[in-house]
Amino acid sequence: MSNQTLALLILIFPAAGAILLAGRGWRLPRIFTVLVGPGVVWASFVCVLALFAGKAAGDFTYWTWIKSGTFEVPFNLLIDNLSIFMCLVITGVGGLIVSYAVGYMEHEDDPSYARFFCYMDVFIFSMLLLVLAGNFVFLITGWALVGLSSYLLIGFWYQRHSAVVAARKAFVMNVIGDVGMILGTFIVFLDFQSVRFGDVFRALAPRANCQGTQVCAYRFFFDTGSLELAAFLFLVGAVAKSAQLPLHTWLPDAMEGPTPVSALIHAATMVTAGVYLVGRLHPIYDVAVYAHGAVAIVGAVTALFAATIAIVQTDIKRVLAYSTMSQIGYMFLAVGIGAYTAGFFHLLSHAFFKALLFMAAGNVIHAMHDEQDMRKYGGLWNQMRPTSIAFLVGSLSLVGVFPFVGFFSKEQILGAAFSKPDDTVVHFLWFIGFVTALITGFYTGRMWWLSFWGKPSPQRPVEHPHEAPPVMFVPVATLAVLATVGGLLQTKALGFGTDEVSNFLSSAVGPERWEGGGAEIALTLLTMLLAAALFVWAMRMRPWTAYAPWAQRLLERKYYFDEIYDAVFVRPLDWVAGFLQRDVERPVIDAAVVDTGALARWSAGELSLTQSGYFRNYVLVFVVGVVSIAGVLLLVRALT
Amino acid sequence: MNTLNIGGSQLDTSWFLLLSAILFVLGAVGVLVRRNPLVILISIELMLNAANLTLVTFSRQLQNLDGQLFALMSMTVAAAEAVVGLAILVDIFRTRDVEDVDELSELRG
Repeated sequence: MSNQTLALLILIFPAAGAILLAGRGWRLPRIFTVLVGPGVVWASFVCVLALFAGKAAGDFTYWTWIKSGTFEVPFNLLIDNLSIFMCLVITGVGGLIVSYAVGYMEHEDDPSYARFFCYMDVFIFSMLLLVLAGNFVFLITGWALVGLSSYLLIGFWYQRHSAVVAARKAFVMNVIGDVGMILGTFIVFLDFQSVRFGDVFRALAPRANCQGTQVCAYRFFFDTGSLELAAFLFLVGAVAKSAQLPLHTWLPDAMEGPTPVSALIHAATMVTAGVYLVGRLHPIYDVAVYAHGAVAIVGAVTALFAATIAIVQTDIKRVLAYSTMSQIGYMFLAVGIGAYTAGFFHLLSHAFFKALLFMAAGNVIHAMHDEQDMRKYGGLWNQMRPTSIAFLVGSLSLVGVFPFVGFFSKEQILGAAFSKPDDTVVHFLWFIGFVTALITGFYTGRMWWLSFWGKPSPQRPVEHPHEAPPVMFVPVATLAVLATVGGLLQTKALGFGTDEVSNFLSSAVGPERWEGGGAEIALTLLTMLLAAALFVWAMRMRPWTAYAPWAQRLLERKYYFDEIYDAVFVRPLDWVAGFLQRDVERPVIDAAVVDTGALARWSAGELSLTQSGYFRNYVLVFVVGVVSIAGVLLLVRALT
Repeated sequence: MNTLNIGGSQLDTSWFLLLSAILFVLGAVGVLVRRNPLVILISIELMLNAANLTLVTFSRQLQNLDGQLFALMSMTVAAAEAVVGLAILVDIFRTRDVEDVDELSELRG
């Protein structure tokens, strides 16, 4: 099979799965859903593996979707190492999570069960379209579709009011990002007269082999101001999708969705779309230096901000949600300073360990009959040993402890930031990242000790919890293994060993640009030791918040972001809407419409009196009419 | 030339037109004041034939056969119209005994 067909098949499988499960698919036996739902994702995974093994690359155009003058939108898929890398994460980790959901969702009734897998397949399709798209229009299509499937899945339990509200919040926040994406695309089209990535990036690429007075960098022909604007608008899209400041408030609420959804969409794949976007558009960000710097600053600030909130959260999934924001902040920091391969390596490792953490947390929540408050767990180490170990692996990876994958990826980002030459701002961002790494150690420790160690809480809903069934535990164990050995792919943080991820991605996003030294490795080990110490220290934690109740309140209130947005946007808009309804719509618009109707009704009533139904009346009117017209005509003739 | 030669004697055109006008007004008044549907149909025929008379008159006066042809045409249409009108009447009579067209006023607004 040609690469072109394979690339299309990657998309067709999940789309076909979603269509099969939609509508009346649930009337078939449940085994049909169980086979089709995860099956199509694995089928896509096989296609991606085939492309990966065949070292495929190319820009395949299938048909022209829109053609109007110079504006042309082809349906083309861009296969390069970056999109294959992303597809591997999406279909590989996605396949594990969808298989896990077979067990997690088994208590749902048949229609909901099929609906869940239908939405999951829609999501996988949309995310694959997002990363495979070869032009801005289909990028936005995928971008909006993942927003839609996220909305559908957060609101999966639509009978719950809080889930519906959370879904709506996520959708609105994501649409703000979509608008940024669309406006950015307009600017790109104005600058380059094309929406294909290939055309745009070729125009931006520096020209080789130029001599004398020739301008080497073709990019300076462009108005960098408009490119900065476009890059900032794309950043709005990335920030909204990846839950970075200031459009982050939807992600913690998105935990209303089923846990596999949190693992797949709100940890492993969708929220990393912003990182992918910056990496994909790196030729633009390399020119638009201010926007590029903003990416790094947003990332570092979000990393610290989210980590501090995670300290006081009591809902296990919310802790994980804030740590997701924090880790994506690291990825933004990495791509923002130009260390793209480090950012994507962290994306991969984060997909491993965060999906692992979410699914292990899902096992616990499943065993605890949907109780999510960590204070009501305790003592699970003895009763759910395998899940506890898996969760510990994920936690240590999140903290960045050797030899787990998180150590290598996070320390590579911090190392890149530390060793970037002559850049004070980036060195300051490194310091933020360093502090965040320590806080990460603390809140992860608190989460693990609180949930699994100690004595069972008296409020625990289940006295003797049962371990998860194999269909749920096998994906968790697989990811635990991956999180343990994944670091061997790239041991750059230690200064020696393999460099697989960077080598693989360098053809798509460029090689790492600067080398670290001994100081970097020493700091890396110091960071790890301090973070691990805080992880352990969290076990003996005293209730520190008693000394600073204002700090606890501030953190529990999430820095009052929801309240501020409520006061600045929601309430004024509510007021304006209320004003318009009360004083404009009802007295002016409604009244005009109602009165027009009343006028027509009244005049119809009056005019219907002329319809007597008597034949002679009609004839009389006719005759009188003819006679008067004839009279008028005669009169006119007589007078002229 | 305002006269027509009818059977060897000269008659002024306006007499024919006057006759036609009288016939037409008779027909129109008949439609207006009579109540019996059949009589109304007959009155309509009268109006049509008054118009035919006018056509033939002018045709003779102007020595142009178009008017005569048009009169023939008009008679054909009149025949067809009579067929349709009578058919409707027959259908109405089947369902009820109508003596007065005022009874057929269901379309009152």
